[in-house]
Amino acid sequence: MNKSGFTEEKHPVDPLLHTDSIPSGWCSGCGIGMVVNTFVQAVNKMDIDVENIHIVSSGIGCTGNVDQHLSFKSDKITDSNVIAYAAELGAKKQDLKVVLFLNDTDFIASNIDEFIKAGKSGAKIVVIYINNYIYRIFIEHKALPKTPFLKSSSKDKNATPFNIPHLAKVSGADYVARWTQLHIRRLMFSIEDALLTEGFSVIEVVAPCLMYYMNKGNTGEKIDRMGVYKENSIIKHLEPTENLDLRNQNEIIVGRFLWRDAD
Amino acid sequence: MTVDIHIINERCKGCKICVEVCQTNVLDIAKEPNLSGYNPPYVKALEDCNICGLCEMLCPDFAIQVSHIKEENK
Ligand code: SF4
Ligand code: SF4
Ligand code: SF4
Repeated sequence: MNKSGFTEEKHPVDPLLHTDSIPSGWCSGCGIGMVVNTFVQAVNKMDIDVENIHIVSSGIGCTGNVDQHLSFKSDKITDSNVIAYAAELGAKKQDLKVVLFLNDTDFIASNIDEFIKAGKSGAKIVVIYINNYIYRIFIEHKALPKTPFLKSSSKDKNATPFNIPHLAKVSGADYVARWTQLHIRRLMFSIEDALLTEGFSVIEVVAPCLMYYMNKGNTGEKIDRMGVYKENSIIKHLEPTENLDLRNQNEIIVGRFLWRDAD
Repeated sequence: MTVDIHIINERCKGCKICVEVCQTNVLDIAKEPNLSGYNPPYVKALEDCNICGLCEMLCPDFAIQVSHIKEENK
């Protein structure tokens, strides 16, 4: 033990982790790990009973591994049932906080109808959507047709990425925010707010998959991991969600766009 | 008011994010790899640390911690 009181192999949030599975299997530097770190730090900071948090993830995509690293109660559900299952779980127990970690594949590609349904029926869940810009992973291993800053991987010039905050708002969400993996402290405050919100909370985290975007290839230009967020993101709280398209613009608008509790 | 940066070498995956985000260049990558073959960071200039806690929050593998911040949050 050294002078500050921590032992050689311990981190203050270790009680909330399955330390056997760390380091995680995610690629070195992947944003998913940062989001999980932020989530754990937020829970650690809040005065909240960890027994009341339930993690749900699906079996497909890299966020499917989140539950393996956390010592919260958790479930792994087949990909197209994950939101429906979480909504049911949230409805069953009054003070249970159900937190879903989703990515493009188990969300946009296979679950968007359940998402709308959950929003419309006022499900009590927190959706942390890690937008890693991978899409259509089942059909052909290919990135989203158009991504910000990057060239198109598709020949279809009119293809546009999805505006998730807008979809969340029109589906009836109570809390909508978007951050990048650089805005980690604001993301932590957002996760805290979302955990305190009674209702349907959606947080989008922009964290492009490094397998595609750290290498120059047919999916686009090489991006510089953190610099690209620093230079291109603009914080605009309460921006109308219609303007939040990530389409081909050299900026990512981030912020907290909707919080019904605060209104 | 003491700062201590503690790095758990065996958890590190060598992504260098902590080194990139530190605005005061406190950290640098070590020459010695850990058992998994990744080069973990080491503390180069502790006196420059302004205790922002970014390196701790951004490390994807819970390998780095800044002790002063922890004491404050308790
Ligand atoms: S970088 Fe891409 S492939 Fe690697 S863990 Fe992250 S999302 Fe998955
Ligand atoms: S706490 Fe901030 S200043 Fe200190 S080493 Fe970490 S990133 Fe650098
Ligand atoms: S951020 Fe963590 S895993 Fe990455 S180099 Fe620093 S200590 Fe290692």
